[in-house]
Parts: sequence; C-alpha cells; structure tokens
Amino acid sequence: MLAVASSITRASVGVARWPTQSLQVPAAAASFSTTASRPKFSKGRRMFREWERRQGRSYRRHNDNATNYLTGRGGDRPFPLNPEFRSPRVLDEKARELVWEKVMREGETIKAVSAEFGIDIRRVAAIVRLKEVEKDWIAKNKPLAKPYSKAVLSMLPTHHINPNEQNAPYEPINEIHVHPYTMQQLFWPTSESRHFTREDAAKAFHPTLLSADKRVPHPELIQMEREVEQGRPVWEASERFKQAVMETERNAAEKQIAKAAHEEKQTTRVNTERFEFRFKQFNSENVGPKGRSRNVVGWRYGTPLDDRSKGHQIKIPISVP
Amino acid sequence: MGARLLSVVNMNTKYMATNDGSELAAGRGSGKDEPTNWESPRVQGRARTPYMQMTFAPMERRLDIAVFRAMFASSARQARQFCVHGAVKVNGKVVPYPAYRLNPGDMFQVDPERVLYATGLSKQPPKRSKQPSLTQEGEAIEEVAEAAAEESEVQAAEAEQDPDTTDAPEAAPVDMKPTQKQIQDLTAQAKAILKEPVSAARKRALRKFIQSARLLMSRTSRANASPTEITDELSTLVAELNLGVGKDDKPALKTAASADPIDSLTKSELKQLEQCIEEHMREDQENPYDPSKPYATPWRPRDYMAPFAFIPQYLEVNQNICSAVYLRHPVARKGFAEVPTPYPFEVSQLAFNWYLRRR
Repeated sequence: MLAVASSITRASVGVARWPTQSLQVPAAAASFSTTASRPKFSKGRRMFREWERRQGRSYRRHNDNATNYLTGRGGDRPFPLNPEFRSPRVLDEKARELVWEKVMREGETIKAVSAEFGIDIRRVAAIVRLKEVEKDWIAKNKPLAKPYSKAVLSMLPTHHINPNEQNAPYEPINEIHVHPYTMQQLFWPTSESRHFTREDAAKAFHPTLLSADKRVPHPELIQMEREVEQGRPVWEASERFKQAVMETERNAAEKQIAKAAHEEKQTTRVNTERFEFRFKQFNSENVGPKGRSRNVVGWRYGTPLDDRSKGHQIKIPISVP
Repeated sequence: MGARLLSVVNMNTKYMATNDGSELAAGRGSGKDEPTNWESPRVQGRARTPYMQMTFAPMERRLDIAVFRAMFASSARQARQFCVHGAVKVNGKVVPYPAYRLNPGDMFQVDPERVLYATGLSKQPPKRSKQPSLTQEGEAIEEVAEAAAEESEVQAAEAEQDPDTTDAPEAAPVDMKPTQKQIQDLTAQAKAILKEPVSAARKRALRKFIQSARLLMSRTSRANASPTEITDELSTLVAELNLGVGKDDKPALKTAASADPIDSLTKSELKQLEQCIEEHMREDQENPYDPSKPYATPWRPRDYMAPFAFIPQYLEVNQNICSAVYLRHPVARKGFAEVPTPYPFEVSQLAFNWYLRRR
C-alpha cells in the first residue's frame, strides 16, 4: 500500500514538473533532438520496479550454494519459456583436481579416466590442459581469480566426484553424431532369412559409412561388456579394457609422430644467419574444384580473385595453431 | 559453414554388446514384431529433438559469444570489446577479431583483471529511487555505507594513507567518511566471526554489537554528527565486546574471539577454530581491499548475476585462470538443445524458416 502511494506521488510530481522540465531538457539532450524525454515513469517501467522490489529482490545478491533461476531456486532451467535448455552441471574444483591427478600423477590414460567418471574424452583432455596452466600460474606466483571462481561455482549446478567410490556418470560419453546419410528414409529389400546387422545397415545407407560400433568414441567399452557377457570376471575385463585403451592411445600417438616425421621429410630447411627458410613441393596445377580452394597454392587463370571485394578487407584467421 | 543442424545420440554399450542390430529386423511383417504400446508406463514418451533451437548455433562459435558464454563478460558486447582491445588470447596468441570462429579444441584466455571488472560489483553505487520503501531499509543503509566506503576510498588514496592504519580511534578525522568505513569494517569482521562455530553467548554479543554499529552508522550521516564522539562510542562498544582495537585489528579481533572461551573448548574444537581463522586469513589475502582496482574491493559478484548464470556443455571453463576450451560444436539431443536461447521452439522455428530456409 505504501509503495503504491509513493509511486503515485512520484508520478504526480512528475506531471506537475512537466512545464519546467520541458524547458530544461533540450539543453542536456542531443542538439538535433527537439523532443524532451518523458520525465514520468511508464507503466511497464513502474511495474518492473515494483517487481524488482518484491519478487525480484531475492535475485539481487547471491548468498548460498544453490542456483537461483527465474523458474525456481535450485532448479536448472534459466529460461522460463524454453524448457529445452537446461543449465548443465559443471565439475567442481575437487573433481577437476582428481581428474588431473589421475592423468598426470597416476599416469592413467585419458580414455580410461573418461570411462571411469563418465566424462567426455575431450573434456578430460581440456581439464588436464587447463589445470596444467593453473599449476604453472601457481608456480610463477601469478594471482588466480579465486574469489571469482568461488562466486561463479556457487551460482552453478555442480557435479561432485567421490574418489574410491562408484560415481554416477557426469555426462553421456558414447555419443555419435546423427550422420546426414542416415537422416533419409530408406527402403532396402532383403531376404527374410538374412542376418541384417548394424554393419549392413550402415552399408545400405552409404558404402563408406561406418557402423555405429566403429563410430562410438569408446568401442573398447563395448568389447568389455561383451567379454563380461561371455562370463569373464569383471575385474579381468576391466583390466583388459585398460590395456586395450592404452594400446589405442599409443597407436594414435604413433600415427601423429609419423605424420610429423612425414611433414619434416617433405620440407627442406635452409638456415641462414637471420632466417630459416623452409621449402616444400607444391603443385600449382592443383587448384581445387572451384579454382580457389583455401588449402592449395594454385590459381586457375581467369578465376576472379575476391580478396579486394567488400567484406574481405579484414582477414580473419580461420585457425590459430 | 554449412547450415547443418547437429545432433547426437547416446549409444548404450551394454545393448550394443548383446545385440548386433539384427533383432530389429527379425520377423518384420511375419507377425513376430510387436507394435509399441505408447500408453505403457515402461515405454518412454516420444520427445522431439529440438533442431529448430539450433538455428543460431553458428553464432556460438564466435569468439566474443564464447567469451560471454563462459561468463567472462557481462554481455556479448562487452566480450566483443575485450577481443578488440586485445584482452583475449586464443591458444596463447592475442586474437583481436570478435568474429573469429573457434575450432574444436581451441583454448581462449581472458585477462583476469578484465573478468573481475566485468563480473564484479562496480565502484559507483547504483542510483536508487529517492524514497526507499520500508522493506528496503536494511539494504538502503548498506547502500549508503557502500557509497560512503567508495568515497572514503578515493579520499584515502588522495591522502596517501593506508586505510588499515586510519582505523585507530585516536586519528579522529574531521570528515565522517573514514569513521563510517571503520564502523563498516568492524561490522563486517563481526559478521565473519558469526559464521564460525562460536558459543551462543558470544553470538548474542556479536549481534548486539552489529545492531549498535548500525545505529552509529545512521548517526554518522546526520548533519550535527561529531566524529570524535562516534569513534569514542565505537571504541567503548568494541571494549564491551572484549575485542580490542589495535593498529592491525583483524587478527586481534580473531584471537580475542578465540581467546575468550578458550578454556571451555576441547582440542578438536580448537583445531577447527584455528582452521576457520586460517581460512579467513587466506580469503582476505586472496580478495584484499585495494582502492587502485577499477571495481569494488573486496571483490563481490555483480547484482542479479545468479539468474543468468550457466555455462553451456560445449565449453570447459577453468574460472581460476579465466580460461576455457571450446570442446566441440553445440549439438541437440533428444529433448534438449545446447544453444542457450530464451525463446521457445516455435519462435526459433520461425527464425529458422526466415534465415536458413529462405536463402
């Protein structure tokens, strides 16, 4: 009642002041504007102030460790109109530290840690990478943004991991992209007696399409489950899983090393006093399908260069190595 | 960039291990297959994959939007400014292009000082309406105190005086602002002690002190207020509390707080108390009072930050170093989309039809 009364007085005061205000305002406004701004609160604005003071008051300062979204305290939906977006949980400080320790101290493979805690492979790698930078900052006595970190993590839903315990997975780890080849409806007549597996289904969609068993990030997990199904003890199967995962990672590393070595073999380095020149063989006839492929050096005669047309003046890099 | 709307499905490893896919095709059309009973409680209801909510997914790849989504800036425009001003690094190199499209695996870092400025409470107190309602009184006082604190900060800087040393009661400044600051500091410390496990009597005394300090604070804003009187009163209040005001009153306050009921405490409780004190000291060190900063110190988050706080799943953020990794492009799942948008499905569908299908 009191607040309503006060808002009314404010409004009436505004109305009373109108003539003097309109004389003063143009001096303060932009020179080209002849319209004075309205000194009165609009209804919407007034109602917003009212809401801000009453229901909206709890959103101003954040005090406890739970989320505080418009849809309710402790919930995970920031947007009332969009139920299809959920605020995902984030790993808390201890969980990140645990992941870093598993990988860097105990020497476990990234895939094994990913399977153990149910964290995406790329996320495990990212956590370790970021943690390494953090440790580096600590070693160099560079100040961390601790108060910021504490405040932000208290506003977000967090996921905690208990070491030496069975934990609920943090996120789905065996996701595959819905391939465009598989998004069409397909009529594929086969005989009834045929054993039509996922492999065959992939081939039916496209000859080069791999089956889901090969496209999942953790094919070793499927193998482990299969072994458990066949009667192997769980601990033995998990040991074999770790071995398999280590093998996979070693192969991937070897492949990367081989690629780097191949690249090195292709380049001729000439060291001068000031520069190191690197020469590589390129085919200028190779121009790509449209004559201006980004990855080639060639240029087909007659292809218009658009590097001076509008919108191309600023060269934004497409990758930062 | 293709306009393909990305989505993923999770594969169940156990199911894949026991079935090779042929069971889905077996007996189709020969009476063996059973139609799904959608009414059954065991069958999960149909949920659409909200592809339409992925309309603006390419925007999420932009560097400035990613900086905003990682909660390193308070708006996308501010994030853009950070990029242009060279405060954002991608893989260790300064990238001044807000439109740089991140590739999966890119790590971006923002200067922590900028982040603290963007997300911290500003030095200028927000403008208030002239007549605060009754329900707001408590906060209004806080507001006044804050404003006083900010101004006193500026003055302290001008006088080249360490604000910690001005806490001594004999200083008796002519201006009221240092006194206000002093009262405020003491109140904050008392509140900090209240959070620790102390005895009920102690808590009562502390609460009484806080109340009296609030009264004193309101007296400082009066026209005929005398700083010496108020400082004297404050010192008596503190003496009552058996705290003792020294040059460096923070540790003194804490040791006094622990010294009083020290005999009644067991060893474990004592240890716990010590740990609490240590933690407070560390927090103080991490988040010190520093008038040279462009934001209010000690750092506190901006008002109304919590209702808008979320970090999408395609980013992995380390808040301590104000860095994040762009893991992958945002995707849609059954029932959920990773692109943050306040609009419902239908609105996004219209946007999709307008911007992507109409080309």
